[in-house]
Amino acid sequence: MKSNFLTIKAAVILLCTGILCGCSAPPIPHEVSSIESQEKELWSEGGDLYIPGEYKNYLAAFKGIRKHFYVEKAKFVWFRNYDPVRAEIRDLYKSGEELRRHLREEKAGRSNTLNRKFSRLRDRILNFKRLASLVNEGRFSRKDITKAEVLLSEADGFYSKGLYLDAEKKVETAFIVTDSVLERISPVISRYTNGPQIKKWRDWVDKTIKESRGNRGYAIVVYKIDRSLTLYREGRPYKSYPVGLGLNGTGNKLHAGDRATPEGRYRIVRKLPGSRFYKALLINYPNEEDKRRFIAAKRNGALPERTRIGGLVEIHGGGKEIMTYGCIAMEDRQIEELYNLVATGTPVTIVGTVDHENGIHAILKEIKS
Amino acid sequence: MKHFSKLMVLGLALMVLAVGCGKKPEEEINVSKAAVDAIVTEGADKYAKDELKNINDTLSQAMAEVDAQGQKYMKNYDKAKELLAKAKADAEKIKADIPARKEAAKNQATTALEGAKTAVAEAKSLLAKAPKGKGTMADIEALRSDVAGLEEAVNEGQGLIDKEDYLAATEKANSVSSKAKEVSDQINQALEKVKQAKKSSKKK
Repeated sequence: MKSNFLTIKAAVILLCTGILCGCSAPPIPHEVSSIESQEKELWSEGGDLYIPGEYKNYLAAFKGIRKHFYVEKAKFVWFRNYDPVRAEIRDLYKSGEELRRHLREEKAGRSNTLNRKFSRLRDRILNFKRLASLVNEGRFSRKDITKAEVLLSEADGFYSKGLYLDAEKKVETAFIVTDSVLERISPVISRYTNGPQIKKWRDWVDKTIKESRGNRGYAIVVYKIDRSLTLYREGRPYKSYPVGLGLNGTGNKLHAGDRATPEGRYRIVRKLPGSRFYKALLINYPNEEDKRRFIAAKRNGALPERTRIGGLVEIHGGGKEIMTYGCIAMEDRQIEELYNLVATGTPVTIVGTVDHENGIHAILKEIKS
Repeated sequence: MKHFSKLMVLGLALMVLAVGCGKKPEEEINVSKAAVDAIVTEGADKYAKDELKNINDTLSQAMAEVDAQGQKYMKNYDKAKELLAKAKADAEKIKADIPARKEAAKNQATTALEGAKTAVAEAKSLLAKAPKGKGTMADIEALRSDVAGLEEAVNEGQGLIDKEDYLAATEKANSVSSKAKEVSDQINQALEKVKQAKKSSKKK
């Protein structure tokens, strides 16, 4: 009896030892480390930033699998079975690769969009600079243009570091800043794209040329947009000179100190050989139309009661690059020539433009395209 | 009978031990999570992004281990505790490193902004040499506005430093510096034009 018991005991011990020795824990599936690497790579490539929704779903699935893996790992070796986890990992890995492809496409798309935006913004800034220079409004608009340039440069910096989202934010802000430039200068430029206004200016010029032809004499026409003065002789263009205008030269003068250059039909009322700006031709600003506009502006409260209408508007020397307080400035040798050609009483017509398809129109068209 | 009693005592002792080991490590979980939250508050997502990712990953593994043990009759949270302790220790190490990293970023931003301020001041002092009022050249007037725009950008850069957004502040400051140098070159060209204009008018 005792020997039987010992035999059974020995057999059980042998069986247990055999089982224990024969059944070692199954190895951790190699797929675990590959899915962990994939998750890390997707994160470092910016999955959470560029495809947040899809990445979130992937991450949830990843965490689910991890949980499942840990549950399996926690089981007693005999009951451990990694096959279902392995299958889940394989499926997720496939989705992860799809996600990686999508992520790269998304980033490439953003990079292309950003490049297009950079190019549009550069063109826009350039056009605004040209516009500001054309209407002499650099003082008001260039501040914002500069800020937009700084923002563009910042965006460029972020872009080169692969920080597309930060770059996008900067570019968007830069576009908003350039929009404010347009708002700021639109009151000035709107007259240059206004059909009836251009027609009015053209009528003045036609009449002036007709007068020059009729009396076989000289007439001066200043085209503000072109910054040019054309001397007509017997109704034909005789000479043309570049000119500079007032600080608010593109606007129509309304009162003293507004630094705008008047628009209208005037005449030379006096020739000044000893001007501070070399030589000068004084015109009869304000004319009757200017006086009517000034009185109306005062009456409707647009101007304070004490405002004066101003005067002493001249065509003078000093150089075309200088900023005047409303006068028309020319190079000294050119005013010398003009001064010698024209006499007191010569018609002087100052207009914005006579061309509907003028420079401002063209730039605005480009900006809006 | 005597053997049976001994076995009972041994069994009970083992059960007590098993239950003792099997208590969910709530305190360790809370402590580790708090340590991670603390580094996020300190700005780990900016200054220790990769490390934060690794710590969160360790925490996630720990939680998976906690859940796995939670489903077992004989629970053993040793591995989970080990992972939680690692997450906590890593977070504490990073927490200690973040101030130095922040300081370095701040210094970089401050230095860049000082450079920008100097560049703008140089442009401004060049402009001070240009004539003012009637007779000023149009491009000088425009350049004055450029400098005004740069001054505003410098203030924005300071605002970013105040908000501890050092990366953005550095980028802005560098952009301002390069634009300011460009403006200075343009001012010099414009001043040269003024000089030339004066010379030619003197000749007459």
